[in-house]
Amino acid sequence: MAACLVLAPTTASGSETKATEPAIAPTVAWIATQFIPSPEVAAGAGHTHAGLRWQVTPLLYSWGINRKLSPWRVLVAEPLSRQSGSIEAFLSPEFIDVDGDATDKWLLRPGLRAYFPILQHGEYLSMSVGSSYQNVQGRGSAAFEGGLYVLYGLFGVQVTYAPLPHQPAGTIVTLRFRYF
Amino acid sequence: MRAPSTLRRPRLAIAALTFLATTSCVTASKMAGRNMVALVSAPREVQTRITHPQRPDARLAVLWIGHATTLVQMDDKFIMTDPVFTGSVGQLSKRLVEPGIDPNFLPIVDVTVISHMHFDHLSLGSLDLVEPKLRQVLVPKGGLIYVPNYRFETDEVAMWRSWQSGDLKVTAVPVEHVGFRYGIDATWMTTTFTGWVFEYHGMTVYFGGDTAYVAENFKKTAARFPHIDVALLPIAPINPRGFMKRTHVDPKEAVQAFLDLGAKVMIPIHFDTFVNSEDEPGEARHVLEGVMKERGLGADRVQILAIGEQRVLIPVAPIAPVAPPAAEALVRSGP
Repeated sequence: MAACLVLAPTTASGSETKATEPAIAPTVAWIATQFIPSPEVAAGAGHTHAGLRWQVTPLLYSWGINRKLSPWRVLVAEPLSRQSGSIEAFLSPEFIDVDGDATDKWLLRPGLRAYFPILQHGEYLSMSVGSSYQNVQGRGSAAFEGGLYVLYGLFGVQVTYAPLPHQPAGTIVTLRFRYF
Repeated sequence: MRAPSTLRRPRLAIAALTFLATTSCVTASKMAGRNMVALVSAPREVQTRITHPQRPDARLAVLWIGHATTLVQMDDKFIMTDPVFTGSVGQLSKRLVEPGIDPNFLPIVDVTVISHMHFDHLSLGSLDLVEPKLRQVLVPKGGLIYVPNYRFETDEVAMWRSWQSGDLKVTAVPVEHVGFRYGIDATWMTTTFTGWVFEYHGMTVYFGGDTAYVAENFKKTAARFPHIDVALLPIAPINPRGFMKRTHVDPKEAVQAFLDLGAKVMIPIHFDTFVNSEDEPGEARHVLEGVMKERGLGADRVQILAIGEQRVLIPVAPIAPVAPPAAEALVRSGP
């Protein structure tokens, strides 16, 4: 199709096709929402423990967003960029109420996670798979996870499983809240 | 005794916040309640759904598909506005009336415009449904970020700039609204709302998308496009007015916008399709009819369509009978 973008309405010459990169930046409102924790239940070694998890995304690559735009995001990723298909490096500060002192209860979970859209480019329904490293009460292990999300990724359920024996948090079910 | 002003301000702020919180809670609960009702009931059927939208008798025709979705025929070209065909928007707001046409019966659409990024105007599921029918989608400047990859081309058009293909020209014109999709993105999504003007073969159509009343916007558009044949203007949501007024015209303001634009005909859109306000079903139409009476506007100037109804605004001129050529002319044109 011989189409062009022209100056309106007097100049009918020249053509251009622009794709505007959004000026995404961490704002006070965004930072505030990142403090909202996702509650979880961890089970392992014959006990269950309550916990909380937060999410930080140092880097995300989206293959779902428009091909004319940069697929890279640092810290702030729009729901569509994430849920429409992406892979992210993440860091999850996490609190699991196991026995012991604060160093036993708090951990920082680094990992990689990929999102796949299921309905309406992931805005209505999407899923994720990922892996991470966890260290609870001095027991380090790789962990594998899967997740299912609705409402632009705002609500979801993640299941994290650490296969090594005697893990105090071998299976974790997280009710994921995430806004951007 | 009056409290010092330094004390009054926090009290005022608290009172205002309480009022806002109460109002928004009441509004949200009303909307949630109505959507819950809609959730368990099927959308109302459209009595006569059009299966052949291409009108050979029309130069300019408009089919209201529902909400802000219209199919505009301008001679041999088809333009669609804010296509929404899904059963819900934003996963939470259910459709009350089925779309005025089955997407399978759509013709090839030459240009589709998106007015802004809200879920009831940019519906990715709907774009999936009509993808094979679309050739070109236009979004306001900055809008590409929320249109993933499809088979059709998608381009941004900045304010007062145009996209043109042959004789068909589409220009982005100013409206007053908001450009975010999710909320927090309001900080950087500052240009992603627009109105559109379509021009083809001497005909001009205005599409207002969603807009508040700002006279200057309509008057500037009228100055640049002095011969608008039809203005597709939203008339709702109306209530709660204090909240909606900043981003939405009510029927009275929509009629004023129509007069500011100097258009020949107004077709109201953006009402009675989804629950997105405290408006009662039929309220916007009823208020509009009252405004028409007040302003002395007949049904020829403000043409209210039902969802699924198509209206021919400029018919094809009847072909004048051709007189047989004179014998002399035949002789002269001969070799």
